[in-house]
Amino acid sequence: MYDIATDHASALSAALITLVFGFGFVLGLRFLAARRIAWAVRVTQPYDAAPSITKLAAALMLLSGGLHLALVPGHEGITGMLFIVDGLGFIGLGIAAFFTNWWRRPAVLWLVATIVAYIVWVIAGWETPDQVGIACKLIELVALGLLMRLANPTRRSWPRRAWRATAFPLMACITTLGIWVGGLAHPDALHAHAGALLQPVADVATPEQQVAAARLLADTRASIARYQDPAAAIAAGFKPGPVSSADPLRHFQNAANANAILDPNRPQALVYAQTTHGLQLIGAMYQMTRAGQWGPDPGGPLTQWHQHEGICFSPFGFEFSFETPFWTCPVGSTSITTPPMLHVWIIDNGKNGPFAADLDKTVQRQLTGRS
Amino acid sequence: MNRTASTTNSAAEIASVLVVVQASFSLVAGLSAIPFAIVEPGFRVLAVVTILLSAGMFWLARNLRRGRRWAWRWLVTLEIASLAMTALLSLLPIGTVRGPVPVLVNLLIPLAVLVLLAAAKSDARRAA
Repeated sequence: MYDIATDHASALSAALITLVFGFGFVLGLRFLAARRIAWAVRVTQPYDAAPSITKLAAALMLLSGGLHLALVPGHEGITGMLFIVDGLGFIGLGIAAFFTNWWRRPAVLWLVATIVAYIVWVIAGWETPDQVGIACKLIELVALGLLMRLANPTRRSWPRRAWRATAFPLMACITTLGIWVGGLAHPDALHAHAGALLQPVADVATPEQQVAAARLLADTRASIARYQDPAAAIAAGFKPGPVSSADPLRHFQNAANANAILDPNRPQALVYAQTTHGLQLIGAMYQMTRAGQWGPDPGGPLTQWHQHEGICFSPFGFEFSFETPFWTCPVGSTSITTPPMLHVWIIDNGKNGPFAADLDKTVQRQLTGRS
Repeated sequence: MNRTASTTNSAAEIASVLVVVQASFSLVAGLSAIPFAIVEPGFRVLAVVTILLSAGMFWLARNLRRGRRWAWRWLVTLEIASLAMTALLSLLPIGTVRGPVPVLVNLLIPLAVLVLLAAAKSDARRAA
């Protein structure tokens, strides 16, 4: 669900360069200070005197500053301007941590303002949440946590203690929720719905592709007609998937067909709908063997594969939820990305068409009584 | 900068902050499972267990800062289990670790906590 945006990829290199440069800079300073170079001694002394927690917080702010400046070329207008201001602010505060007494409060405000601004941008749809942006917020959240530990409260009244205990988890929850809302409200064109990534295809199908798609549908329909009765499918080696109270569709998978590639005679799975009259065969599912390995698409945009990602899958039954933007799942479930799959619906699938990632909601409601 | 080294210069202090970060993410994961738990009974249990684990991690972080040895032991166990599970899952072709965010959250932070806990122990030994 959260990929790396093309114009953000350079920021990862910038992060590594910032880390190497920072490490090299500290080593160089120590080298010069050991040779009694006056300015190097003046700079090294406050650095050495600073506690580890300050050094780490400053390093994380410098890293975030470097990331923001590296992202400027891919962002125009106000966003680009804010990235410059933000990046320079983080670098200034990161350096101020070693030479001033007042840096902590402005740094806390700067971090909170940056995180809140990102959430606003993402929810408004001005920025698409991707792994670089989320990693940057993670760095800032850790820096914020460190700065909050540096606070030395003089008054220890219970409201202050409660605020100190809950402020950071609250900020982490708000950040996660904001990124999530933004990602779900403004999915990019290749995300059919939350958790499904579509294969990149051309906009329009050629006449040859239309014929090939029709042939695939006809061949699949003819091939799986023998499995109208689920018992026949089981006898042929298809294993029924677990019953889910959340999903009225059941997939019967055949491991023996795992290596077949878009072969109508050997589909990887059959799809049945749980109707009031029992299981009704409604389609087949073709699947590749590895995530990211798109299958052949004879129908071009008509036969577009999709893969599910960002799913928290529980092995205690066919149950799932969505993972958080920080890639965490509930205990007992794990994040998975499925190999690409292509559904072929042999019933009329309404406006979604015979190769859609999902069964049309209206069709599903008519069949199963549930959406 | 002006805090005394005795209160802020310890590896345990930094480790406790990272554990609070992990606990916050666990809390969000547990809360996020609740809407799914409405239709998926199994996730009710997972959501509750995750929120309880998160509460436990907040408590362990607090007691780590206070120098409790049992908190140190529990955290080492938890982080090793977390790292081992991530390493195991990353060997499977299910795309569990894909990109910088899962590497940071599921590998780097637990590893950093373990290193800091080891450093905290050696600090404590030197102090003794």
